[in-house]
Amino acid sequence: MSEIIIKAESIKKNYDASYALDGIDIEVLSGQILGLIGPNGAGKSTFLQSILGLIKTEGNLEVLGMDPRRDRHQLLKEVCSITDVAVLPKWMTVDQVLQYVDGVHPKFDIKKCLSILSKTDIKRSSKIKILSRGLVVQLHLSIVMAIDAKLLVLDEPTLGLDLIYRKEFYSQLIEDYYDGDRTILISTHQVEEIEGVLSDALFMNQGRVVMYDSIESINKKFLELRPNNDSIEKGRSLKPIHQRIELGREVLLFEDTDEEKLSELGEVRPPFIADLFMAIMDKTKRGTDS
Amino acid sequence: MTTIFFAMLRREVQEHKVAFIYAPFIVTIVLCFVIASVYFGITDIQTAEFNFSTEIYDEDYQEGMLQASPEAKARVIRAGLTVLALPVLITVGFGILAYNLSTFADERKDRSLIFWRSLPVSDLTTVISKLLFVILAVPLMILPNIILLQFVAVMSASIYFVSNDIVSFGYLWNSYFITDWFRIIFSLWAQALWTLPIFTWLMFAGTYSRKPVLGAVVPLVATVVLEGIIFKTNSIFEFIIERIGFWSRSESFPKKYEEVRVVDVPDIFLLFSTPEFWIGIIISALLVVGIVYTRSTNNDYTVE
Repeated sequence: MSEIIIKAESIKKNYDASYALDGIDIEVLSGQILGLIGPNGAGKSTFLQSILGLIKTEGNLEVLGMDPRRDRHQLLKEVCSITDVAVLPKWMTVDQVLQYVDGVHPKFDIKKCLSILSKTDIKRSSKIKILSRGLVVQLHLSIVMAIDAKLLVLDEPTLGLDLIYRKEFYSQLIEDYYDGDRTILISTHQVEEIEGVLSDALFMNQGRVVMYDSIESINKKFLELRPNNDSIEKGRSLKPIHQRIELGREVLLFEDTDEEKLSELGEVRPPFIADLFMAIMDKTKRGTDS
Repeated sequence: MTTIFFAMLRREVQEHKVAFIYAPFIVTIVLCFVIASVYFGITDIQTAEFNFSTEIYDEDYQEGMLQASPEAKARVIRAGLTVLALPVLITVGFGILAYNLSTFADERKDRSLIFWRSLPVSDLTTVISKLLFVILAVPLMILPNIILLQFVAVMSASIYFVSNDIVSFGYLWNSYFITDWFRIIFSLWAQALWTLPIFTWLMFAGTYSRKPVLGAVVPLVATVVLEGIIFKTNSIFEFIIERIGFWSRSESFPKKYEEVRVVDVPDIFLLFSTPEFWIGIIISALLVVGIVYTRSTNNDYTVE
């Protein structure tokens, strides 16, 4: 039985005249790896900050049954986060930062952290300021992975890192950290790098939820057709929700359409999350315009 | 909770070891060298402001030393040893000034505030730990320097006096009380509490201002000027000056000394009986509320 980790009802946050969050209603269950996907200004970071109790919002927000703003101190014993890259204090050595976290976090396992670090190039005596950006993020992830938390919040955790570090980050996260019970929220612009690890996707735009569904359900519901040259018109007649040209080839996106019927017209496969997001945004925009 | 405070205090020591360990230690070593040099005749210090030389121990002075009552002798030696620590205290004073201004500004500047706030430590606990560090821990950290300085001074003087047949070796040591170490530490704690409104104001400036120095100075100058123009008084300026000075020399302190002498531990408790002390504590408490609020809500990481 999955436990409700986050319950958000009509969450709103306004800055001056505009809403950064405009009525978010979602439930996140234990074991979900949820990707928050949206353009800049969609409200992803604001929503994650509200979950961490860093900002005040309107509406009813519960994280692990607690009010994140009021019970922030208690909540952070169960919730870990990396909400920016390379924010570890530069004057500290690796050992000092580990000692500090060990002293203040009741669920931090320093032996586990040292074991994770032993597989990296990070030396315990090194000052954080001499570590590369990638190693600092790796150190931060090692600390987070050694905390027995129920919820992990990642907001652009790999921004500015090269491809190798980004791949290592996510593979370590899934192979060594995720145990099926823990919940992970990830917000990133590099959607294509995380879509393989997500169990659910939350599309956001202008502070609103555009779509929230499991990857399994998305893959059943949406299909991409690359029609054969002689089937393009037939494909178009089946009313795709979106169409685009990719490397000179027509690509049509369908929602709730019979897969067998589509396979007769060409190559069929589930869409990439990034392409689906673009399509959904386009559809929403067209809906708004009309 | 004790473990958390211990971890947080250790972090402060690690971060500020230059200001509160290395700098006072270097000053202490230099002073020890100067004192030993003077006593052993290597050098005399003769400046317009300061005159220290073994030449001062002329025959009249030596006679005076031998004739002095034990109480008078103890008073002079204790006062001398206290004055000796002033350069160390002034060094640490500058360190405390810089610490208070920068401790909350630096964490915004390097964005480590995001990391600190991702851990289960409340803003109030963080602020209290920093105050405990600067009020309680820093005086304890500099005490060994003062003890070393006093030890070198008394030892050098004793060797000098013995080798010149002035007095016996134990003459000075009879007036050097180990219990004075406790007096020094209690006195420094009292000083920190007396100056607490200044400490907390500087910390507050570090939490809200992009330019902490200006953020600390400009509002105070503006308030002092406005008070002068509107009310034709200067009570805020006097309050600030009193708080920067020694607590035992403040106008509100009930016990006045006509001569330079040290204050004893029971004198410190007199400070707690003054309304001015408690006014300072209340102002500090209000500023702590301001620091906690601003630290938890200020997402501006632009600090110069």
